[in-house]
Amino acid sequence: MLDRAGRAALLTLACAAMAAPFLWMAATSLMGQLEVFSSGRVLPAVPLWSNYPEALTAQPFARYFLNSLVFATAVVTGQVATATAAGYAFARIDFPGRDRVFMLFLSTMMVPVVIVLIPRFLMIDAIGWIDSYQGLVSTELVSVWGIFLMRQYFRTVPRDLEDAARVDGAGPFRVFWSVALPLAKPAVATLALFAFIDAWKNLLWPLLVTRSMEMRVVEVGIAAFHSTYEINWPYQMAAGVVAVLPIALLFLFTQRYFVRGIQLEGIR
Amino acid sequence: MKEGGRRRSLAAWLPGIAAVMFVAGVAVILAVAVGTVGGAREAATMDDARVAASLWELTGGSADVVARLRPGGITVEAVEDGGAGPGAYAYETGALEPGVWIGVAPRQGAGWPASATALALLGALFMAAWAATRLRSPPPRRYPAAIALVATGLLVMVAAAAQRWAERELTDLSAARVAQGIGAVEIAIRAGAAPDRAARVAGLPWATSAALERPDQLWTMPREVGEAIVSSPQSGDTAPYTVEARGATYHGARLIPSPPAQDALHLVFLGYEETASPDVALAASAAGSTLLVALVLFLLPLSARPRTLRRTLSAWGFLAPAATLLLVFTFGPLLFSLWISLHEWHLVDPAHPFTGLDNYRSLLVDGDWWSAIRNTAIFTLHVPLAMAVALALALLTRGSRRAARWARLALFLPGITSVVAIAVVWKWLLNDGYGLVNRLLEGAGLGSVPWLTSPDTALGSLMLISVWMVVGYQMVVFQAGLAAIPRDWYDAARVDGAGPLQRLRHITLPGLRHTLFFVLVTSVIGSFQVFGLVYVMTEGGPLGATDVAVYHIYREAWEFLRFGSAAAMSWMLFAIVFVATWLHFRFLEGRREGRVHA
Repeated sequence: MLDRAGRAALLTLACAAMAAPFLWMAATSLMGQLEVFSSGRVLPAVPLWSNYPEALTAQPFARYFLNSLVFATAVVTGQVATATAAGYAFARIDFPGRDRVFMLFLSTMMVPVVIVLIPRFLMIDAIGWIDSYQGLVSTELVSVWGIFLMRQYFRTVPRDLEDAARVDGAGPFRVFWSVALPLAKPAVATLALFAFIDAWKNLLWPLLVTRSMEMRVVEVGIAAFHSTYEINWPYQMAAGVVAVLPIALLFLFTQRYFVRGIQLEGIR
Repeated sequence: MKEGGRRRSLAAWLPGIAAVMFVAGVAVILAVAVGTVGGAREAATMDDARVAASLWELTGGSADVVARLRPGGITVEAVEDGGAGPGAYAYETGALEPGVWIGVAPRQGAGWPASATALALLGALFMAAWAATRLRSPPPRRYPAAIALVATGLLVMVAAAAQRWAERELTDLSAARVAQGIGAVEIAIRAGAAPDRAARVAGLPWATSAALERPDQLWTMPREVGEAIVSSPQSGDTAPYTVEARGATYHGARLIPSPPAQDALHLVFLGYEETASPDVALAASAAGSTLLVALVLFLLPLSARPRTLRRTLSAWGFLAPAATLLLVFTFGPLLFSLWISLHEWHLVDPAHPFTGLDNYRSLLVDGDWWSAIRNTAIFTLHVPLAMAVALALALLTRGSRRAARWARLALFLPGITSVVAIAVVWKWLLNDGYGLVNRLLEGAGLGSVPWLTSPDTALGSLMLISVWMVVGYQMVVFQAGLAAIPRDWYDAARVDGAGPLQRLRHITLPGLRHTLFFVLVTSVIGSFQVFGLVYVMTEGGPLGATDVAVYHIYREAWEFLRFGSAAAMSWMLFAIVFVATWLHFRFLEGRREGRVHA
């Protein structure tokens, strides 16, 4: 339809359009507070690097990052543990009612999260976990998508090694732990990556269960920062750059795991 | 031979495991009941200490007056003399007398739910006896429905007995607390305090001295409760009474102070049987333990097939963490939220009157809610647009691996990075006067657009941003789908003389149909749940133009604290998502299938 050059030009245009907001964010983050309002200014006259330390100390962003890191790490650990075990059982063990239980699990993917937020909030409140790490984390430790992903992956791995281990007298857990799980490392990496990003991006639940500034995660922190420094765009853009950067770097180095995850879920 | 022996013993132990589960279940039920009552008693004792401390401060530090509150049960001591006083609880009085401790003896109750315990013991004995006989003779081959039924019945009876006991205890406690509060107010008035200050001494919720003729002025009290008090028969000087309002029982008292010139005092107090009732917890633990016992019993018919039994046990061992978490944090909350949606459930009001389908009924005629639904539906229309762009991009990057990788790198980031940061950037980009977009438009002589500040354009702007966010992800999915279409189909078509558009229509789209369907369904489900963009960028405005369903529910629950109607809303949203998904499956997937077969 199009020749090579035409395609390349179109693609370049699309990529530029997609990347423009990020570049604009970076440019604004280095401008003066009033400079951004002067017409005709798109790039900073002089890069104002001091915006960064000033914005990041205006609110306890270090603490926000620590909280996000703790939250995301705990969620990743929990989801990997629950999903690998459950996915293995669904893929490898033939037990009565397996398919029905699996469908029951899968059906929860259709449920809008908002429906369980109120009961979860009341439960966490009843045991006094509001505004704590355990309250933040405990509801997020299982991902049905992760179970599905691990099941799909385990089904693609040949059983021979596991059978050999079983013949050698290994019990079910040992077979899972020392034979099946090491073979599933790529899928585990994909799951861990998606779980990390989803936790990092999670806004609604942390917004509900945290109250104090000390317990805010980055997403909640930036939203609060936004409403406090409404018209100080350079500060806000600086905070935004700092929030986007870790994920961008993570993505840069782990691109293939993302693609593999999407391929595993998309093609059935 | 050794194998066989081990197998039989495993099956024979199942009834024993069921019995142990049963015992654990009744233990949890009793613990919940006793714990709730104990907690309420502890809270009441703490309140006693607080009442005593307020009396102490009001009367200027008179140990005699405070001791009159509960003869023998309350002592005042200097800190240096003995620390925490005779009881387990002590309250350090405030700024007036920092050096004084008021010790309050813990409140005593009837102690232990006797009938529930007896029932529990009976049930445990029964299960143990059954397990013991099963240990000797081989377990039955068929599903032991009778035993499961008996165990269920026993668990429910234990839970019901425990609940009745807890309710009685809590009612007694309630009455005792009201009496205590009235006593405190009388003591305070006799010591010369003004009525409204005296009312505050009682430490009871909604204690007030407002005139009865104006129920709406009864301090912080729901209107129905005030009206019920006013219309209740009134007699005597100090009359504890109960009123029924909003489906809850309220304990109250009327107090007319001895110099009758002053306003009458009205103390109204919400009864414990409504506030701290362990109903939900007891029902949950009864249901949970029934489920566990039933699960173990479900394994019994498998004991004739030891291999299957062992597989089942190890499978559930692997599933246990995920299943438990899903049960507690997804399936349980689903039922709980359905339950909440049938009540008038206000976060700060401990009474949750049952209202049946009223929440749903009033939603049906709630214009704001339907406009939120309409906005959500319109917003969802960004999905086909995004899919078209993503498909075009995937086709563009098709020939070259390098192009595919670069496109991925540039396009994927918006979908995985912080939604809030992206929303803030776009809010700046689309800023009316100074945003980059309007500056470019003005530079091109097209005039500026009020992207986010006009009700006509705000939702459209959010849709465009959403396209920008999801397009990279969808492109990667399409790239994967395209790679799965065999190359020679295209070659064959080219040989037959099919043009690019024909190839797209007859090979690419049919070849991608599962992928397209998958992306459509997941994106629609996702877009029904949009929240972050709206929360940061428009807060539902201007004029409610971007008020989408989840944001509406969020405000209903956490801004207006109306959990009942918010729960009803979320169930309606779920119903809509469910129907939409079902329609997709029914018509799109079905029709494509049909066309391919034809």
